[in-house]
Amino acid sequence: MEFDVAYLNAQWPALMRGLWLTVQVSALSIVLSILVGVLGAAARVLQVPVLGKLVVGYVEFIRNTPLLAQLFFIFYGLPGLGLRLSLFWSGVLCLTVWAGAYQIENVRGGLETVGKGLREAAFSLGLSPWRFFRLVAAPMAIRVGLPSMLNTSISLLKNSSYLQAIGLAELTYVAIDRISMDFRTIEMFAAICVIYLLLVLTLSFFASRLEYRLNAPFRL
Amino acid sequence: MDLLIRNLPFILQGLAMTLGLALATLFFATIISFLLGTLATLRFGWLRVLVKIYVELFRDIPLVVNIFFVFFVAPLFGLELSPFAAVTVGLSVWGSANGIEIVRGGFNAVPRHQWQSAAALGLKTWEIYLFITGPQALRAILPPFVGLLTLLVQATSLGALVGVNEFFKVGQIIVERTTMMEGWNPAFTVYAAVLLTYFVICSTLSWFGRWLERRLKSDRPQTRPEAISPAEPATQLP
Repeated sequence: MEFDVAYLNAQWPALMRGLWLTVQVSALSIVLSILVGVLGAAARVLQVPVLGKLVVGYVEFIRNTPLLAQLFFIFYGLPGLGLRLSLFWSGVLCLTVWAGAYQIENVRGGLETVGKGLREAAFSLGLSPWRFFRLVAAPMAIRVGLPSMLNTSISLLKNSSYLQAIGLAELTYVAIDRISMDFRTIEMFAAICVIYLLLVLTLSFFASRLEYRLNAPFRL
Repeated sequence: MDLLIRNLPFILQGLAMTLGLALATLFFATIISFLLGTLATLRFGWLRVLVKIYVELFRDIPLVVNIFFVFFVAPLFGLELSPFAAVTVGLSVWGSANGIEIVRGGFNAVPRHQWQSAAALGLKTWEIYLFITGPQALRAILPPFVGLLTLLVQATSLGALVGVNEFFKVGQIIVERTTMMEGWNPAFTVYAAVLLTYFVICSTLSWFGRWLERRLKSDRPQTRPEAISPAEPATQLP
């Protein structure tokens, strides 16, 4: 049972295909979940009558149920309602719905730092609501909310490995698949652990860089 | 409904398995968290670095990969783990990586003068931990730990991937069985019911955690400002 580099070399293209799918699913879901987050948080902060309550329920529900069960409900359960999605889009939908709930909380946390006083001050200075949002609220909310939004995005990337359970051929699926055929367990796990670690660490590095840059005006 | 009644013993078995898995994991994760978490507050730089590496490693590798890893790799070292044991190990390691941060944050939230006064009174290090800072840190630690427990309950569903017959797996089996034997697919209802059950369990726990937090906070008004929120608990890893 020694480490077989040649084997890993031979499987490299398959792993890269898996990685590419992982990246695609994650990137798409991250963008969509942030969209969900912004819309949901807006509904809550603006206290839209029914929608606001629905958003609260949605967030609570997602946070208190396992992602795996959500995934199976979407992939195997929804066709019962006549909604049949491909593997890829089931994955995107699942991750978006899951991460969206967290992004709503993140964005809301950011928006809540923009107090009422600021809004009144901005309006009394004659700023239009749009300019208030663009020049005052958004920059502040982004600074506060961005770190946790990036954390959620990183979690999403890691959780894309759940999608192997429904058979989407992303990175983890490829590895497990190869292991069940060739039994080169150590090589495969070493490879995907390193790939995931690299992905996550790179993302966290850029996240902290960004945070640092955004906080520049507040550093002494 | 008929499906539920016919499979009730099976479902209850699954629930018991989920509960067992969650409790076993909680047990081990708590021990490791408190052990390594307190060690990381001691004044040994290298110790802190080691714990940090442990935490980062197991938080950054996806939990799914982690569990498969234990399940597939342990036999290679002559360790025949049952699926249950493999999942317990995988989840405990992951849970403790999150727990360590909570414990460490809890100890850091205790005002430093508590430690200094105790030391000035001649208490030994272990006495200070056990009688002075420990009980105070516990207040900050307990609520996020309940949150961790909810995450663990959710994460036990991953047992299904390696063949532990816990609650989620039971739902899966019922779906497959009904599809094969009776020719209709109850996936929608079954998975909806599974989701709802998890929701009831976990939101009860979350609610308990919030109650605990309010309860423990109310009679402690004199916290340092930066001590109000101890380590940001890992509320978002399922």
